Amino acid sequence: MNFSFRSYLKRLRSIIFGILIIGIMPALLFGTNTQVEQNVWEYSIKNFKYPLFPDVFEKYQYSMTIFFGALLIGLTAALILTFFTTLLPRFLQRVVYGLLTFFESLPDLFIVVILQFGIIYIYRSSGVLIANVTNVYNNPIYLLPILTLSILPTIQLFKIALLLMKDEQHKPYVTVGRAIGLSRSYITIVHVFRNILTSLVQYYKTIFVFMLSNLFIVEYVFNLNGIMNILLNTKGVAFMVTALMIAIPFSLLFEIAESNTIKGNRQEGVEAA
Amino acid sequence: MMIKLLKQPQAIIGFLFITSLLAFSFYWPNLLDVNKTEALKLQDFLYDDEGRIIDAPPYTPSQVPPLGSDMFGKHIFYQVIDGAKYTILIALGIALFRILFSVGITLINPKSNFSFLNDIVQATLYIPTAILTFIFMNSLIVKQSMEPMSALKFIIIQCLILIGVGIPPLISTFSNEIKAILNKDYITNTFALGSNKVYVYYKHVLPELSTKLVLLYAQQVVQTLILMAHLGVLAIFIGGSAIVVLGDIFAPMPVAIPLAGEWAGIIGMNFAKIKAAPWTIITPLTCFALLIFALNLIIQGIQNCLETNKS
Repeated sequence: MNFSFRSYLKRLRSIIFGILIIGIMPALLFGTNTQVEQNVWEYSIKNFKYPLFPDVFEKYQYSMTIFFGALLIGLTAALILTFFTTLLPRFLQRVVYGLLTFFESLPDLFIVVILQFGIIYIYRSSGVLIANVTNVYNNPIYLLPILTLSILPTIQLFKIALLLMKDEQHKPYVTVGRAIGLSRSYITIVHVFRNILTSLVQYYKTIFVFMLSNLFIVEYVFNLNGIMNILLNTKGVAFMVTALMIAIPFSLLFEIAESNTIKGNRQEGVEAA
Repeated sequence: MMIKLLKQPQAIIGFLFITSLLAFSFYWPNLLDVNKTEALKLQDFLYDDEGRIIDAPPYTPSQVPPLGSDMFGKHIFYQVIDGAKYTILIALGIALFRILFSVGITLINPKSNFSFLNDIVQATLYIPTAILTFIFMNSLIVKQSMEPMSALKFIIIQCLILIGVGIPPLISTFSNEIKAILNKDYITNTFALGSNKVYVYYKHVLPELSTKLVLLYAQQVVQTLILMAHLGVLAIFIGGSAIVVLGDIFAPMPVAIPLAGEWAGIIGMNFAKIKAAPWTIITPLTCFALLIFALNLIIQGIQNCLETNKS
């Protein structure tokens, strides 16, 4: 665990400047008269105005529950699927990989809409409501958003894990393990997975940024009142504050992950040169 | 590289799919032998053989084959076919300009760090692109409602926003790439022998970047398409929108309809009706998915080429 507070502050300064620029830019380009119509500490949804504080904390917590729930489910599902795929014969592995390439290209919007409509369709035809499909009053839903949000990260992580697995399985320690008579599944679970997990951490940035974008679409389509919905409906100072609320903890996570994967960075540096 | 790309079957399939979709979108009235204005007209009611009204829009796919209609009674199938050309051309154009601008800006001063842009890149990691674009587009729409501007100017500003949103991350990618190339020994030698900057960029830097450029271009097209779909859901239509009042006199219901017929507009226009008429959303979304899949096939092909180049 090595983490320098100094480089984090440097990164934070850069983020704050960036958000400041983005927040001011629309007013600069299109004139300030587009900005003054509402109080600074309010956000408006469909012509109704709400105060930003302390609403935002509750919504923040809700969104982050969905986000990390989905991340956890996605990671677990990807690892389990990878394990079972490695036990399959070679040609089936290829089929799985091809299917993954197809599923990866489905837009997030498509998956969200299909799932929502699918559940309504099942309810209509059989009367079984698997999960609530939208927020009603102050009754937040968790199951469906978490599942929906976890699908695309699962596919991406699964694909990356399969590729890493392919590289890993030809390494000497696996051969040694086989030679001393350990079973294939034992080696995979105990030894290979441990190495894969450390390599998977290198892809955190892509996955996180991708999931934040997905979170927005999930919140919008399921009509959840989460942090992204506030971010969408605020302007000016309130927008900057909300964006910073997302940026500060995530950048801390990024910084920790980055300073702990120096090995990977060095490899990238070699490739770039 | 082109010849190598021809040996990748998946890239060819993807390319053929997109070109045939584009060609079909331009020539469908001739190919399907229907009148274009007839096919895209508004259809108020559905009549049976004796002339009685049997239903009002939106019609299901079984009532109006092949894919049903939206709430104005327009055929979804013809709308999607007609919108394909706008969607594909807008995405291709915006991705092209993103690449061109960012390479141009980087080449003006390749040695600089672009710390100002770096800040923006760091910040945009945490703000989804759709929200970022929405902020700008919304301000633009508010401005337009206050002081009307011509349709052409409006569309150009919209395209500039879409282009501008993608440029900062691209510049940081390119500046890293170009710095790595400029640090190579033979470039230093060329400068030492007295060649000027423009010559070196044109003769050495761009050819070395070219494969990377093609790959980034395809990826940018995919990103633009996804961004357009998101904006469609947010009811931001590229090409502007008109307000039409639906519903009866006691419950007027203003609905924004897009003026250009691209797919994101079809999604956005019908998004409020998702529970009543899901086929109006699912059809254009499926088309988006297929188009992105075709592009991903091309990207895969290019990546395979690059790998064989290396080894």
